[in-house]
Amino acid sequence: MATFPFAGVLKSLWVTLRTAVRKPVTVQYPTVRVPYAPRMRGFPALIWDDAVGEHFCTGCQVCARYCPTNAIFVTMKNNPLNQTGQSPRRKIVNQFYLDYGRCIQCKICVDVCNFDAIEMSHETEFSEWDKRALIFDVRDLLHMETLANPRTKQVVTRR
Amino acid sequence: MDLLVTLAVLTLQIVLLFNVVMFIVLALVWLERKVLGRVHQRMGPMRVGPHGTLQSLADGIKLLLKEDLAPSSAERFAFLLAPLLVFAPSFLVFVAIPFTRDIVVRNLALGLVYFVAVSSLSTVGMVLAGWSSSNKYALIGAARTAAQLISYEIPLVLVVLSVAMLGGTLDLRGLVESQGQAGPYVLWQPLGALIFIMAALAEVFRPPFDIPVAESEVLGGPMIEYSGMRWGLFFMAEYGNAFAFSALFVLLFLGGWQGPLLPPILWFLLKTSAVILVFFWMRAAMPRLRIDQLMGFAWEVLLPFAFLNLFLTGVVQLYRWPLWSLSLLSLTGLLALGYVVERGRVTWRRSPSLAS
Repeated sequence: MATFPFAGVLKSLWVTLRTAVRKPVTVQYPTVRVPYAPRMRGFPALIWDDAVGEHFCTGCQVCARYCPTNAIFVTMKNNPLNQTGQSPRRKIVNQFYLDYGRCIQCKICVDVCNFDAIEMSHETEFSEWDKRALIFDVRDLLHMETLANPRTKQVVTRR
Repeated sequence: MDLLVTLAVLTLQIVLLFNVVMFIVLALVWLERKVLGRVHQRMGPMRVGPHGTLQSLADGIKLLLKEDLAPSSAERFAFLLAPLLVFAPSFLVFVAIPFTRDIVVRNLALGLVYFVAVSSLSTVGMVLAGWSSSNKYALIGAARTAAQLISYEIPLVLVVLSVAMLGGTLDLRGLVESQGQAGPYVLWQPLGALIFIMAALAEVFRPPFDIPVAESEVLGGPMIEYSGMRWGLFFMAEYGNAFAFSALFVLLFLGGWQGPLLPPILWFLLKTSAVILVFFWMRAAMPRLRIDQLMGFAWEVLLPFAFLNLFLTGVVQLYRWPLWSLSLLSLTGLLALGYVVERGRVTWRRSPSLAS
């Protein structure tokens, strides 16, 4: 069904001409930034219970058991605030280490958490010379916004 | 003493010309990356210099600093010689190109013949590079280079011949001046102009005819084993050739440096840039042909139409018909070529190995 002379060639030229006059969709990344989508997965972070003043995390190790890359290490302790009646949690997180060098941002830890204590943040920019610097402890995980790039200051809140 | 002065002037001319060619090549590389980027809706190089204008310079410095490697199994002498053989012709053709009436290193009486002859010499270097690398991809690329050259040189030369018939001379300056009276030849020979563009694309290994150096098939073909500035020489030769052929197109079909208002050199550069942009545009628009499609297109389509173009020019000149009749006839031929191309696209040629 040959129709018009050079139809295929002209069509390809026309399409490329049309895309060439459009505005580029890319930006100069470190200086110009596209806003993240709300549900973008950065690295996981712990959430703070403001009502009581402690972690939501009880150190139950469900996330550590389900983590496909074994990036999480958690231990549990008795909650001192529970003994004084200030907190409903009998157990609370003691140590929480998350290795961002191993984390694959799969969000399984968030899905399995019984206390909604861990959430995907928007932080992704952790370039380090030493991979051991990527192992974050419980305090770092709470204050991720201060660790990461100050331009993308992102406070992790419950969604 | 006279000899010394002549030598000094010659050296100066060559150095100047070399610098001009280098500048043109760097600018073209930048321009191509920009154009391709915009077609892909990217920005292209942006970091080095304003809008990435110094990117090619940075790349050049990087190439100069890299180690000069040669495979241990290579034919060492030929391997080291080949890039020079590829680069030298692409530089030499600039000697005969008149940028304006007066800005030309040597205006040769047989400038057209010189151009066609010298520009096809670089294929020798390509074949040598492919052979001496002792690499199968390089050898395949070299074989493809040779095959492509003999396929496309003939339509190209036939078109060039018909232009020379119209102008009555082989002198590039004379040809441009004859277009001053008759109007640019693209008006009288649209078919010839189109065949020339296609053949030139194949001649300088630009997509969609970049089969000998196809990255996704033969990994860069003959230059696969080269690194550092020896590879850079291939690269410069490619872009130098692209510029040379667009310059030739401007000289043969677009009236060279002639144009109203602006100074001649500016007209020449403007027209050449426009043709170069079309080259880049073609690269962005079209996929690469297969080798058998390329050869089939050259021998079964382009060659007969080039002969038709020559025949029409001859008939019109022999019976002294007015020039507009040539224009009409050529336009008809153009449409016929377009029909054949389109039909070839719709009824896609199957690969020979699948044909049985």
